[in-house]
Amino acid sequence: MSGPLVLGIETSCDETGVAVLEGMEVRSSVLASQVDLHARFGGVVPEVAARAHVEAIRPLVHQAITKAGVHPDELDAVAVTQGPGLVGALMVGYAFGKSLAYSLGKPLYGIDHMEGHLFAPRLAFSGYEPPAIVLLASGGHSQIVHVKAWGDYEILGGTIDDAAGEALDKLARLMGLGFPGGPAIDRDAENGDPSAIRFPRALRDRPYDFSFSGLKTSVVTYLEKAKSEGSLPPREDVSASIQEAIVDVLVTKTFNAVEATGVEVIGGGGGVLANRRLRERLAAEADARGVGLFVPEPVLCTDNGAMIGSVAVHKMERGEQGDPLTGDVDPALRLGS
Amino acid sequence: MNVLAIDTATPASSVAIGVDADLLAMSVNVDRRGHVGFLMPAIDFCFSQAGWKPRDVDLVAVDVGPGPYTGLRAGIATAQAFAAAVGAPMVTVSSLTVIAVRAATGRRRIWPVVDMRRGQFAIAPFRPLPGGVAPDGRPEVVSPEYFKVLLESEGTDSLVVGDWASMPTSTWTALDKVRRGRPRYPSADTLLEIANIKVNQGNLTAAEDIRPMYMREPDVQINWESFRSEGVWPE
Ligand SMILES: [Zn+2]
Repeated sequence: MSGPLVLGIETSCDETGVAVLEGMEVRSSVLASQVDLHARFGGVVPEVAARAHVEAIRPLVHQAITKAGVHPDELDAVAVTQGPGLVGALMVGYAFGKSLAYSLGKPLYGIDHMEGHLFAPRLAFSGYEPPAIVLLASGGHSQIVHVKAWGDYEILGGTIDDAAGEALDKLARLMGLGFPGGPAIDRDAENGDPSAIRFPRALRDRPYDFSFSGLKTSVVTYLEKAKSEGSLPPREDVSASIQEAIVDVLVTKTFNAVEATGVEVIGGGGGVLANRRLRERLAAEADARGVGLFVPEPVLCTDNGAMIGSVAVHKMERGEQGDPLTGDVDPALRLGS
Repeated sequence: MNVLAIDTATPASSVAIGVDADLLAMSVNVDRRGHVGFLMPAIDFCFSQAGWKPRDVDLVAVDVGPGPYTGLRAGIATAQAFAAAVGAPMVTVSSLTVIAVRAATGRRRIWPVVDMRRGQFAIAPFRPLPGGVAPDGRPEVVSPEYFKVLLESEGTDSLVVGDWASMPTSTWTALDKVRRGRPRYPSADTLLEIANIKVNQGNLTAAEDIRPMYMREPDVQINWESFRSEGVWPE
């Protein structure tokens, strides 16, 4: 394999991610997760996130370059997340990346974080090419995207209230499980019965949209009622049933899009795609319909520097120029707009 | 020695380059946002004035605050990346020192002020010396009311500099021994001068020890140990 050597930097939320790519091959990818820092608040605290990024960025860039066995001068470009995300967090990575590119005399590519998630499966599967339907689900976003071609994206639908990961965080807190909620519920649900309780699946009439606030209400109501009646089932059953409700919605809506578009390639990205039940259900459904499923290993689903680098590799292959002087963060960047 | 100095601790961002303490070029921008957009073009502008390339830089100086803005982190990240890329050592200076040095004339005790927002101000006392200042107490974050009491209790004549204009005017009533003066903000040309002195004293800062001087916890205790990574930039 060959291709340009690209340093990718991601600091939009609570993970500092840095990677070195050679074309679509990951030479190194390192991460400083802030999960422990934010755990006690049950969510990401923007000022804490920004402080942690400025602490982690320099040593992580060093580690990524060293692990890749390259010299900084050998890099062909620097890629860094431009948005969407937390402004203070984005600024740390962007300022670092911009300065590094300028002082090394290399082009800089400002990358849309969401486009990074769309590209990530390419790092794992050579057969992943548009047209594709991609499910993006994390603590900050939940969308179904029709990738018609690279750079041509139509957002078919998305959450109208909480993101899937956010819903999992809130429900995990309700259940007395830890933060982040996704992994906590995933673990708890492993020994539970997903059909124990039938929680509602919202927005049946909107084929590609999600809503999770109704689920939260119904879980609260259910728990209160069960408690007062003394009929609480094992916690694992509740976790498994909650997880099933969320997974069910995500899978159904994704395959609604697959059916409507006739697209035969399915991708996935975002932290929620690390959920084992979701991966299982997507795989079973894709299998039954004979379509290709391209959901990479969890480290490529959660935020990382490699996915940011991969978009830059593509831009370079298309002859797009990168410039270390112009450009700034854009916390409200929107895919396809 | 060719020095690049970066200051983004306050709404006034500035970049300066010089040979030792002699200023060659400078760029200033007063804007609460836009630090990231300003910095690289400003550095590039200074370099083009002097005919420098990034590799010509022998030392990177950066103001590490205190300062309330996310821009402070942008300046530090920019300085760190630059220094790492060209293999230059770094010098750090506090924003309060930069303001105090520029104000140093006469005999008055100097109190630089940095607006930390939310009604709080970073302050520190400095003693004027021939050719500079010396810290004369610890920096702290205070309310204007507390600062007034502090100044009232001072036996000596004081000079308040920095962003005192952001304090309520009532802060200054009946303070006979207090004079107010300039500059309002720190700036990179002064940073350059201080950096030169610090280098001559052998007072460099290791890159891994450089972090913003926050002086205010984000309502949380953070265990930084889990974040530290060792190692040096590959040669
Ligand atoms: Zn993400």
